[in-house]
Amino acid sequence: MAEYTLLIILFAPFLGALALIFVSNRQVSLVRGIAAGSAFVSLAASVYLFYAYDSVKGGYQFIQRIEWSRQLGISLHLGVDGIGTPLVLASGILLFAGIFVSWHIKDRVKEFYIWILILAAATIGVFMSLDLFFLYFFYEMSVIPMYLLLGMWGSHTKKYLEMTDPEGLKQRDSVGFIFNFGANSKEYAAMKLVLFLSAFAVAALMGILLIYKFSGLNTFDILILREKAHFSGPLATLIWLLIFFGFASIAPIWPLHSWSPVGHAAAPAATSMLHAGVLMKLGHFSIIRVAFEILPETTRELMPIAAVLCIFSIIYGGLVAYYAKDTKYVIGYSSSSHMGYVFLGMAALDYISLSGAVIYMFAHAMATGMLFAMAGWVYDQTHTRDIPSLGGLSNRMPFISAAFVIGCMASIGMPGTVNFIAEVMIIVGSWNKYPFQVVVAVLGIVLTMAYLFKMMRGLFYGSMAEKYSHSHDAVAVVDRMPLLIMITVSISFGIFPGHLYSVVRSGVDPLIARITKVVPVAELPMNIPQASTPTMPQPAPGEAIAKVTSR
Amino acid sequence: MTFSLTLSASDLLLLLPELFLTLWLCVVLAVDFSFKRIVQEQLAYLTIFGVIITLACLAWFDMTGITGTLFGKMFVVDRMAIFFKVMILLATILVILLSIDYVHRFSLFRGEYYFLVAMSALGMMFMASANDLLSLFVTLEFATFGFYVLVSYLRDDMASNEAGLKFFILGVFAAGLLAYGISLVYGETGKLVFSDMTGAAPTTGLVIGFLLIFAALGFKIGAVPFHSWIPDTYHGAPTPVTAFLSIAPKVAAFAILLRLFLVALATFKPAWALLIVAASILSMTYGNIVAIAQRNIKRLLAYSGIAQVGNVLIGLAAGTKMGTDSILFYLLTYLFANLGAFAVIMAISNSVGSDEIDDYRGLNRRSPFLAFAMLIFLLSLAGVPPLAGFIGKLYIFVAAIKEGLYILITVGLVNIVVSMYYYLIVVKKMYINEPLDSSPIKTTGPLRAVIYVGLAGTLVIGIYPQPFLDWAVAATLMFSNLIGPAASLTPPVTPFGG
Repeated sequence: MAEYTLLIILFAPFLGALALIFVSNRQVSLVRGIAAGSAFVSLAASVYLFYAYDSVKGGYQFIQRIEWSRQLGISLHLGVDGIGTPLVLASGILLFAGIFVSWHIKDRVKEFYIWILILAAATIGVFMSLDLFFLYFFYEMSVIPMYLLLGMWGSHTKKYLEMTDPEGLKQRDSVGFIFNFGANSKEYAAMKLVLFLSAFAVAALMGILLIYKFSGLNTFDILILREKAHFSGPLATLIWLLIFFGFASIAPIWPLHSWSPVGHAAAPAATSMLHAGVLMKLGHFSIIRVAFEILPETTRELMPIAAVLCIFSIIYGGLVAYYAKDTKYVIGYSSSSHMGYVFLGMAALDYISLSGAVIYMFAHAMATGMLFAMAGWVYDQTHTRDIPSLGGLSNRMPFISAAFVIGCMASIGMPGTVNFIAEVMIIVGSWNKYPFQVVVAVLGIVLTMAYLFKMMRGLFYGSMAEKYSHSHDAVAVVDRMPLLIMITVSISFGIFPGHLYSVVRSGVDPLIARITKVVPVAELPMNIPQASTPTMPQPAPGEAIAKVTSR
Repeated sequence: MTFSLTLSASDLLLLLPELFLTLWLCVVLAVDFSFKRIVQEQLAYLTIFGVIITLACLAWFDMTGITGTLFGKMFVVDRMAIFFKVMILLATILVILLSIDYVHRFSLFRGEYYFLVAMSALGMMFMASANDLLSLFVTLEFATFGFYVLVSYLRDDMASNEAGLKFFILGVFAAGLLAYGISLVYGETGKLVFSDMTGAAPTTGLVIGFLLIFAALGFKIGAVPFHSWIPDTYHGAPTPVTAFLSIAPKVAAFAILLRLFLVALATFKPAWALLIVAASILSMTYGNIVAIAQRNIKRLLAYSGIAQVGNVLIGLAAGTKMGTDSILFYLLTYLFANLGAFAVIMAISNSVGSDEIDDYRGLNRRSPFLAFAMLIFLLSLAGVPPLAGFIGKLYIFVAAIKEGLYILITVGLVNIVVSMYYYLIVVKKMYINEPLDSSPIKTTGPLRAVIYVGLAGTLVIGIYPQPFLDWAVAATLMFSNLIGPAASLTPPVTPFGG
């Protein structure tokens, strides 16, 4: 049974979506039940995966290999390492929470859950793919549900609604609406997202095809390519750039970020959660899985590109978030700013910083998931996301405002949340290599505080407009549960990060050893609680030395 | 050249599917004439029955490995011919099913309609087996002949007449080019059979001759710059005929193109590869860019069809065994997605009476099933996983990258993104926009059947393509001696780790 864990995690949502096709749209509770049930199966299996992953042994575990096409050298090769495992868990949590966050959707409920299940399952598929073909397969598969979710259940921006007549038909349906930068309709956001991601995805596909051709191995299998394929010179540079920018667009790195906040703003709450929580991490993860694994030398040479671009990500995203007036724009730009930290952690190519980056991905998924869920709740109650017109909502929704404070704390990286550990690891780990960026990153934290507090004050404190007096708090269990889950996860891993840390280290260690050929220091990096000492990655030094000398 | 006119029993066996279909066509015609009161539906099912028996016969050929040549190599039955014939007959069945609810629009000649459809199919079956220049010309004209009538079948409709006339004039012009090309090639080489021409010297006459033949075939598949008839003809023709026209003649013409380029011209590959690359880039780019501006779904699919042909030509430009496999596989995926899309179009036009994309507004609310089916078909055409079209495109790209056709692949990849835009515009109308008229759309049994077949084909091939890949690979074993890495034949690398 245990060896099928990955298949269960991956296919439970797919089967749920399949089952939903045969359910009538009128049986709303049955629809929700099936969606929540399949998400729960996936979540339970991913929790099991997280704790059953053997961080002492390390490497790829729970491997499944099903031959798919002999002619093309493709197999459904699934497996997780210490980097994939927490991300699979994060996807499971956010999918489960997302099902409940969207509990009150009224329009076309069945279709909504079908697409959200497919979106989450495809995302999970990327995190466990050990085959380049399937990595791309699931990656591209996650894009199309976004189009429908944004378009069908999303919302227009305030400015757009002001610009169009109530019918809005003319403007929304003109062929040139895609170039209509002034006003972001949900259709515009959805189309921009899909075209942007597809355009860069095909660049990554070109990189994958070049790897396939020049490895000469007739296989898409990452594990075989990692061992046997060697690339050098301009070819390696070209492939690396295609892979890096192809996947970094979804991350999103500056200047390829513009689709992301627009998409966040248009998306319904659960979609924003999955989008910011896990979809964006597909970028970092795919870069680690493809570029770091298959092109280690080129990664060492070219990763400074990311170190340069991440400065712009952090500062630009933070500044726009500070001046944005739309709650979802603020959280969206804060997400793209925070993804800069992950790039900094990756660029430093250090044991501590890369581990920090991976933990940051997990931590950010929880924090931003909370914020988007609550922004969605506020929008559902007030039907506006315009911060200046809101205020004083803490009287009406004490639970939400309290949870929002915790969400902001997590997002800032207060001690006690897992974000703090991740941030400190990134900062400490990259200090040696990129001190300037670290200074920027620390300033970025101050900036994060500024815009999050500003938004918090604007939404929940001050005086409340009369028209929002009918809005009410999240009282029901289904409404509170998703937030409580994410808060619990964020804080409990903040206090007891031992297992998370050792799992991540077991994935990061062999990777960094291969890239930098520096043996990890087998001692505790910093203020990681002592609980993690027994499960420190034991085999790291010896194995790494063996690997270095063999190459 | 020895030419034997005696036919032995085993020779007749090779011709069995064609002979049976010919006889059956006579039966259909006779039944139509003899029973004045016969319901046209029964005639349709009678025709389908004959086609299914022919398919069964081909399946038997494929399983028992019956192959051979006839009439001094004019007519060849090999596994590739069988593959193409199966595709053509499959398309014929689906098109006849599509027609059942459409035929009442024709004022006259309802019985002959099915006869003409099946007759064109017969012609295209012969095309799939054509192995020399003479049979190329005869079978091509035979197959097109039926279409000239079918396209202008709506006698009182101006658009249909215009479509027929345009198709006829340009078709006859292409036939003239073909005949002239054939005469030049024969004059230069003295050979007619493709496989005899391999060693011919590249004289000017020969080059011009082959260019003319390529132009005529390019007309059939609708590759740029021979595409100009496609939009108007697709737009004006009766929709089931458009559906038929959009897949079957292309399939048959690709059978001839493969034999012509990979057998007769195998030695000149570097020269013609450039020609194909140019045609492919032009077709993809032109088709996709012009499709963006279309307001009519049939015209949109016409231009997207031009672009799809450009994609298939990538496989031909690769010119390897794997390239051939990918062409066969791609055409199969295209068949299901395209005919499925046309079935949805017919269901909507039967109910709404229009083919304008604006009338697809809110289809999701009016008929969730039709909207979902259309979504799947369009995304498969765009090449989105996990649908068949994605595997088809990827297979073609893999075949091409092994030959180092980087520019072609880059153009192809960029075009995927461009095509996504206009397919998603249709998706937007269906799913995001609200309907102007929210009455539900009724579908009939035969149309549903076609949609189900299309959905099954698109999803099954997309999720588990192995049997279909195997079939395509087995069908083109005769090309395994082609230049370039025979990638399909190398054993898989032993799995690492688990």
